[in-house]
Amino acid sequence: MNFLDSPLSKPAPYVVAPIEHRFDPYEDNGGTSVAIAGEDFCVVASDTRQSNGYMINSRYAPKAYKMSSTAVLSCNGFHADGVTLKKVLEQRMKMYKYSHDKDMSVTALAQMLSNTLYQRRFFPYYAFCLLGGVDADGKGAVYCYDSVGSFERENYRTSGSASALIQPFLDNQVGRKNQQNASTAPLTLEAVLRITKDAFTSATERDIHTGDNLQIFVITRDGVEEQNFPLKKD
Amino acid sequence: MSIMEYNGGSVVAMVGKGCVAIASDKRLGQQFMTVSTNFQKIFPASEKTYIGLPGLATDVLTLSERFRFNINMYKMEEERDIEPKTVAHMISSTLYQRRFGPYFVEPVVAGLSKDNTPFICAMDLIGCINFAKDFVVSGTASQNLYGMCESLWEPDLEPEDLFETISQALLNAQDRDALSGWGAVVHIITPDKVITRSLKSRQD
Amino acid sequence: MSGDYSFSLTTFSPSGKLGQIEHALNAVNRGVTSIGIKATNGVVIATEKKSASTLIDDESTEKVAVICDSIGMVYSGMGPDFRLLVSRARKYAQQYKQLYMENPPTRILVEQIARVMQDYTHRGGVRPFGVSLLIVGYDEVNGPSLYQVDPSGSYWAWKASAIGKNMINAKTFLEKRYNDEIELEDAVHTAILTLKEGFEGQITETSLEIGIIGTSTIGVAGKDREEFPLFRKLSPSEVKDYLANIA
Repeated sequence: MNFLDSPLSKPAPYVVAPIEHRFDPYEDNGGTSVAIAGEDFCVVASDTRQSNGYMINSRYAPKAYKMSSTAVLSCNGFHADGVTLKKVLEQRMKMYKYSHDKDMSVTALAQMLSNTLYQRRFFPYYAFCLLGGVDADGKGAVYCYDSVGSFERENYRTSGSASALIQPFLDNQVGRKNQQNASTAPLTLEAVLRITKDAFTSATERDIHTGDNLQIFVITRDGVEEQNFPLKKD
Repeated sequence: MSIMEYNGGSVVAMVGKGCVAIASDKRLGQQFMTVSTNFQKIFPASEKTYIGLPGLATDVLTLSERFRFNINMYKMEEERDIEPKTVAHMISSTLYQRRFGPYFVEPVVAGLSKDNTPFICAMDLIGCINFAKDFVVSGTASQNLYGMCESLWEPDLEPEDLFETISQALLNAQDRDALSGWGAVVHIITPDKVITRSLKSRQD
Repeated sequence: MSGDYSFSLTTFSPSGKLGQIEHALNAVNRGVTSIGIKATNGVVIATEKKSASTLIDDESTEKVAVICDSIGMVYSGMGPDFRLLVSRARKYAQQYKQLYMENPPTRILVEQIARVMQDYTHRGGVRPFGVSLLIVGYDEVNGPSLYQVDPSGSYWAWKASAIGKNMINAKTFLEKRYNDEIELEDAVHTAILTLKEGFEGQITETSLEIGIIGTSTIGVAGKDREEFPLFRKLSPSEVKDYLANIA
């Protein structure tokens, strides 16, 4: 056999394969938020644990922000996007103030947040927001959002890693669902705070991404008050 | 979509003071289409022991029959009632036999032992048992149930209070789960009787 | 293998007897005597262990066998046949435990062994076992229990029984000595005395094998360190102590 005919003389040509690139700009940093509207107040609470998979990045990394004297925003999902979103909102609120010469109402902020999120419709902020505050009539308001700006005003809502654990509990205790002849009287601030703390202590038992500390904002006509409540750290 | 969620359904069990409770929803679906609103997921194993089988409906049917067979054979051979812990291990062994081609159910066992000690446990689909002292949950609304049970349950509930607790836990959990619901059934097992109640709930 | 019939060796005689089973029983009756006594709080089995020659290392032979934590067994008759039954019994006990995470109740295991022995009386190509068994156990259903299984596969529960060469005398002895209030310690004594009656030559700790189970023979298992009656064999030094008390 001629050497030139043997397979050795014809080595396989280099295969040109497309090089795959992957762009993974999102992470899930866990954490849970609850927002409950009362008659004349609103409570927004978020745990302060920040995690990535099984790793805890921080035991005190707040994800709820005071936006004005009548509004608090909490962002679950990707922390960096939450922080950025907050910054963008703050800038836009300043622009609003300069042009309108007044502070933004929660109602207006709620609509603006939706627009801000939708502007990034095809490269969204990975942030699931709750906006709590008191509206122009002095009534408690809770707005909840998906990551692309779809939103709704509600009386209570939870979002984040333990939302599946807490939402049915809020339905039961705040919405009084499945309770026969239960009182329909509006909840007091004390009752709302108790329910909020209960919800988080329970969720912390089973959700590993929720825990460490609970940051609670109480928003009334007179402004925003912040309290802290310890959660399990394991 | 996961096979575990193909038909939907949830089960929960709780321990009370000298009693146990086990409850399930009644829905049977195919993905998001509801097919039946009266599908049995809890089966009696003995006078004082019940088995809950949420998961793939065909396996629920197959296994409930198989467990009935095994338990009847046990009863005749051993001339005694089967203990809840024995039921649990029998189920666990049966599931582990299919380690690499499992039955898609996550069973719950609840009962009172011979000396009326409460017993509950839950298993994964290959038979790994979780013996709990408080409550166990299983099925498509398990996350919701964890949240409800963790906040509503307390130790040493009397039968009637346990009934209220487990009912509220299940009802509110399944109302937030698209794959569970359409009514519920609750069994309260006490030393001298088993109370079975059907609950109405949101039909959506 | 055409034309290769495998008729059972145990075929009924015209009078209705199964000759092979009777012969098997004869093999048992030639075997060394074994005793079993049920007490209120436990149960004991005992047998002679006589070596055919002084040159045999008698630590190598075992006549009282542990089947599982709660069950033990002894035989009279043919040693090799016994060992097969022991391995079947142990395997069944483990299978049962694997299924239910608990030891088989004594009766269930006895039924299983009896089934095996019965099987060997009508299957083709086999012969019956040349042993009778005494099986003891302790379970929460029935407490202490003592069973005898014969080559035919029939079995009974006894308060006290004897099998083997000296069976008739031993049973007569037991009938006189037994009472319903007997406790395990006394039962062990009685078992030794019964064996001593028919023993040829000097009885020593190496010529006896004894197994006991009861509320005093405690084993511990599981992460909760639960206590349970454990079947165990008496060590030669323990047997020696019993013998010293008798003499």
